[in-house]
Amino acid sequence: MIEVKNLQKVYGHGRATTTALKGIDMEVKPGEFIAIMGRSGSGKSTLLHILGLLDMPTGGELKIDGKEVLKLSEGERARFRLEKLGYIFQEYSLLEEMTILENVYLPALCLERENSYRKRAVEMLETVGLGERLKHYPNEVSGGEQQRAAIARALINRPKILFADEPTASLDVTSANIVLELFRKLNKELRQTIVMVTHEPEDEKYVDRVIWLKDGLVEKESGLYEYKAKQAIEI
Amino acid sequence: MGNLKLALFLAYKSIIKGNRWALFLIILVMSLSFANLILTPSILSGVTNTLDEQQVNTLFANIVINPEEDGYYLDHVEQIEKKIAQFAGIVGVSAHLNSSAVIDYQWRERSSPSDKGKSGNWSVIGIDPSQEVNVTTIHEHIIEGEYLDADDRDMIVLGIEITGGDRAQTPSFLTLEGVRVGDKVRLNYANGVQREYQVKGIFQAREMTQADRLAFVTRKEMASVLGRQIFNDRASQILVSIEKEGDESRLIEELKTIGINGEIRSWREYGGAVGGIVSSFDVIASLISGIGLVVAAIVMFIVIYINVINKKRQIGILRAIGIKRDVIIYSYLAQSLFYALLGVVLGGIIYGYVIQPYFNLHPLDLPIGLVSLAIKRETIQNAIFGIILAAAFAGFIPVLSIVRQSIIKAIWGN
Repeated sequence: MIEVKNLQKVYGHGRATTTALKGIDMEVKPGEFIAIMGRSGSGKSTLLHILGLLDMPTGGELKIDGKEVLKLSEGERARFRLEKLGYIFQEYSLLEEMTILENVYLPALCLERENSYRKRAVEMLETVGLGERLKHYPNEVSGGEQQRAAIARALINRPKILFADEPTASLDVTSANIVLELFRKLNKELRQTIVMVTHEPEDEKYVDRVIWLKDGLVEKESGLYEYKAKQAIEI
Repeated sequence: MGNLKLALFLAYKSIIKGNRWALFLIILVMSLSFANLILTPSILSGVTNTLDEQQVNTLFANIVINPEEDGYYLDHVEQIEKKIAQFAGIVGVSAHLNSSAVIDYQWRERSSPSDKGKSGNWSVIGIDPSQEVNVTTIHEHIIEGEYLDADDRDMIVLGIEITGGDRAQTPSFLTLEGVRVGDKVRLNYANGVQREYQVKGIFQAREMTQADRLAFVTRKEMASVLGRQIFNDRASQILVSIEKEGDESRLIEELKTIGINGEIRSWREYGGAVGGIVSSFDVIASLISGIGLVVAAIVMFIVIYINVINKKRQIGILRAIGIKRDVIIYSYLAQSLFYALLGVVLGGIIYGYVIQPYFNLHPLDLPIGLVSLAIKRETIQNAIFGIILAAAFAGFIPVLSIVRQSIIKAIWGN
């Protein structure tokens, strides 16, 4: 689903440069739920921005769903994001001028594929427990509800991959657990491919695999079985 | 959904749910900019209109018929007048018999024959008062005494700049220094004829000092001065007033078909110095409008720019979702055009229902006369076009600069 080869990202020019990614190699298979973890400044958000086509690398290769996406034009990348990728930001990213329902169906509205976008948006919002909040504006609902609406929006076009950039960072524990459970449910029941950046070690229990970054490089990878083994030892 | 529809949807949501104060401020700026763009030219147009009206009302009427270049007089005047009066759109025809004379006042009080005393040389026009009232408005500007009657022979009406006195603008030594109604004046015509007249009326066209330097007697009287047998059916010029201003050219062409042995011209061709002032005012009005438009564009640009910059994060999110740059640009262009159109409508209402009625009730009291606002259609068209263009520019530039940034920078500002 995602193939990354020697991905690099350098910010700035001349002497005032910062190397965020020094050559990342990784792969994500269809239906996987991946977490990218690492310390602050390790390059995990930069990597996710590039994978989600929100930013461009300075070097390397990136294939998503078999397509060399870095070779696409700006307009083609926008279309690719709209059709095949869903993105959830760290902070609330709903459009303040639209209702929760409008926020969710907006990406579907752009695709012109079907006229049932409104109905599907309502279903999505009901799925994430916001069936009663359709006509509310973002500033009228809680942070957790906004984030769940953002998840519904990210899923409305049935994306191949869902990217989430520290989706629980600004949420309380209860709301965070609801969001992560929702991710796990999507992954298990619908085989939704999810790539999530997180800094919470506890989140490891929800994912299939963790890619650890350090100083712009992949440091190591770990799987669910390791977490379970660690838990067993602690017990 | 098509790009345009989507852009309009985004623009609609942004206007409806955007910051009310920002919306109010933008539309207020647009309205006042538009009102300002049409106000200054309309004041200048008002001034030129007043000057034009003065020319038409007191000196030339709408159409002037003069003798051919090789002649001094028009012949068969009565016949010409009748023919002209038959045309639709003609309000009045008046033949003038012009001369000049040295006008003396209190000549008996002179100390010696070489004493110039109170005298001066002015134009004297012979008119038929009953015809003249349909052509000029001198009769409405009588400030003392009365206007001429058709049968008056020893009566004269003088302009205020001839009689002199407190209300005259001309230095007193260039006037008769205070002639009053009922006083006698002596006219020494250019052909040597000398006549005495009683001053029947004094007029002050006020704004038009050129007209206020004229003296009027009846045409019968002037014909007798010049030679009744020869000048009974002659005129120095014929003035024609018409119903609808702007019809001059058409009527001139029609009048040329009836075989008048003279030169038929619009009053504008005799405008002289005033015509130059009008042209200069047009240039000034264009310059002020141009500067006003640039200032309005800058103000609108700043206000819309701040508004768009405040929505930078929203624009970033739209792009992150996958909405194309073009759609976002169209959306902000649509918003700017909406602001501009609403500004034009409100500015038009402010101008039409507040500013113009105020100036109609309280016209500007300028030396040339009372000036109200006059707006030309092309001024309004230019202002609308200018505001829309400026708004489009003001909406386009900031949003273009934002959509060219990386999505991450637009959302997070780094």
